[in-house]
Amino acid sequence: MTGLDDPILPSSIAWGLLIAFSILWVVLGWWLGRHNKTAEDHMLAGRNVGLALATATAMATWVTANTTMTAPQLALQLGVWGMLGYSLGALGLILFAPLARRIRELMPRGFTSGDFIRLRFGTFTWRVFLVVSLIYAFGWLVSMAMAGGVLINALAGIDYRVGMTVILTVCVIYTLLGGLRAVIGTDFIQTIIIIAGAAFIAWLTIDKVGFEAIHFNLMEERPELLSLLFPAAIMFLFNNLLFGVGEIFHSNVWWSRAFAFGRNVGFRAYLLGGLLWLPIPIVAGFIALATPALGINVPAADMVGPLVAAEVLGLTGAIVVFIVVFAALASSLDSLLAATSDLVTRDIYRGHIRPQASEQNQFRATKVIVVLLGLLTWLAASYRGSLPIIGSLAELLYFTGAFVASAIWPIVAGLYWRRANPQGAAWSMILGSGIGLASYFLIGFYVAALVGAAVSLAVMVLSTWLAPRPFDWDRLSRDAAAEEVRSA
Amino acid sequence: MRSLLPASLLLLLLPLVALAEPRFDDPPADSRDGGLTLEWNAEGPVELEQASGPDFDDARVIYRGGDTSSVISGLPDGEYRFRLRADGADDWADEARVEVAHHSLARAFGFFALGGVVFLVLIVAILRGRPRD
Repeated sequence: MTGLDDPILPSSIAWGLLIAFSILWVVLGWWLGRHNKTAEDHMLAGRNVGLALATATAMATWVTANTTMTAPQLALQLGVWGMLGYSLGALGLILFAPLARRIRELMPRGFTSGDFIRLRFGTFTWRVFLVVSLIYAFGWLVSMAMAGGVLINALAGIDYRVGMTVILTVCVIYTLLGGLRAVIGTDFIQTIIIIAGAAFIAWLTIDKVGFEAIHFNLMEERPELLSLLFPAAIMFLFNNLLFGVGEIFHSNVWWSRAFAFGRNVGFRAYLLGGLLWLPIPIVAGFIALATPALGINVPAADMVGPLVAAEVLGLTGAIVVFIVVFAALASSLDSLLAATSDLVTRDIYRGHIRPQASEQNQFRATKVIVVLLGLLTWLAASYRGSLPIIGSLAELLYFTGAFVASAIWPIVAGLYWRRANPQGAAWSMILGSGIGLASYFLIGFYVAALVGAAVSLAVMVLSTWLAPRPFDWDRLSRDAAAEEVRSA
Repeated sequence: MRSLLPASLLLLLLPLVALAEPRFDDPPADSRDGGLTLEWNAEGPVELEQASGPDFDDARVIYRGGDTSSVISGLPDGEYRFRLRADGADDWADEARVEVAHHSLARAFGFFALGGVVFLVLIVAILRGRPRD
C-alpha cells in the first residue's frame, strides 16, 4: 500500500524536468513576444490570430489545473457522474462560439469584457462585474499555483511551497516577456503535449489495471462511486455545466481571445476547441477510479491524479504526468495572468486611477500588474490547507462558482436582449453571488454555481420584464471607437 | 533512594510516551456525500482500519504507512468506525465514528430539474441569436 511518503519520481529527475521546461517556456515567451511594441500587440497579439492557433489556445487554456487535477478529484469524490459531469464543462466553450462572433461584430475594437459591461450597462454594473470577475480570476490563479505545488509534492516529494513558487515564477516571467502572443504560441505546443500525454496515460492504465479489477474493487469498497443515483453527484451535474459556462462567458481570458482572433475565426475556434476538450476530463478523471484496485492511499483529494498515474505507470508514467500537467498548468496560468492584467490595466488603472494614461503607460502598467498578480497569488497559495476555502483545489474553485455563474445572464442578456436594464444586470450578479455562496456553505460545493445561475436568471428576467430599457447596439462600437480616439 | 530514581524517571517520561501515540486530528462526525478526510498526528508509520460497527467485527486495514491523512469516498448510508495505531503496536491508540447520510433523492432531483431549466433557457436565448425588438 503506497502513499505520499513513498514518491515515485526521484527529486533529481523532477528538478531536471522543471528546469528544462522552465527554460523552454521562458525562451519561447521571449522569442514570440520580441516584436511587441504597443499595448495592443502585447494584449491582443495584433488582433489577427488564425484558426489553428486559435483552436489550440482555446482548448489548451481550458485544459487547466481543473481538468488534469480536479477531474480525478471529482471522480474520486463523486464517482462516474463526477467524471462525466466535469466533461460537460466543454459546453462552456461550445456555447461561447456564437457569443464570440457577436462580440467581434458589436465591438471590433474592444479590449476587455469590462469594456463591454461598462458601455452596455454603465458604471455601477461595471464595478459589480469587476468585483465578480477579479474574485474569480484570483481564485483560479491561486488554484493553479496550488496545483503546481501539489503536483510536484505528490510525484517527487519536493516541498509544496518550493514547487508552487518555481512554477508561478516561470509563468510570470514568460507572460511578462511575450504577452498574449507568447501565451498563444506556447499554448499550441502545450496542446500537442497534453493530448498525446493524456491518451498515453489512459491507454497504459486500462492495459495495466483492467476494467474488471477497477469495477470489482469499487463495488466492494466504494459502491456509491458507481451508483447512478448518487445524490450529491446528481446535484453536481448541472452545477458543473453552469460553472463552466459562467467561467467562460464572463472571463476576460475568453473575451480577449474573441478580440484577438481574426475575423470569422472565433466561432469555429471555440466550437472545435470545445469538441477537442470534451474527452480530456474523462480520460484524466477515469484513472482516479483505479485507486481502490491499486490500494493507494490518497492523503489529499486533489493529489489523486498524479499519485495514481505515477503508481500505475512507474517512473515513465510519472515523467509523462509531470510534463503533461506542467504544460496544462503553464498554458492556463499564463493566459489568466495575461487576461487579468489586461482587465486590471484597462478597467482599474485606466478606468479608475489614470483615465488619461497613454498607450505606453498602459503597456508598462500591464507588466507591473503581471508581477503584482504573481506575488498576490503566491501569498494566497502559500496558505493551502490553512484557510477553509483554500482547503483543496475543488473547494476553492467551486467557491468562485457562485460568482461566475451569476455573471452568465448579464452577459447573455447584454449581448442579446435589447431591453435588459443596468440595475437588473447588477442585482442579478449581487443576489446570484450572495445566495449561491449561502448554498455553498449550507448545502455543499456542488450546488453553488447552480443556485447562483438560477437566482441570476430570475432577477434578470423579472427586471427586464418590469423595467425594460431599450438599447441601441450601434452605441457599443461607436463609443468604443470614440474612447480609442480620445486615448490616442 | 537509588531504586526509586528509574521509576520516577519513567513517570516523568510517561506523558511523552502517550503523546507519541497516533491520534486523529478533529475527525468529521458526519458526511452528506459519502466522503471524508481523516487526518492524524503520528511520529511514525501507522495502521488505519475501517469497520461498520463498534465491535470492529468486519474491520479491514485501509492504510499502512507514513502518511498523516487519508481520503475516503463513495460510502453508502450508514455508521462507520475507524481506528488507528502505530504500525506494529498491539493496542489501538484512537477511534473515530462517522455517520454517512446522503442527501435525499427528492432534493437531488430538485436541483437537477432547476439546472435543466436554467440550461434550457440559456440554449433558447443563444439560439434565438440576434436581438429582437
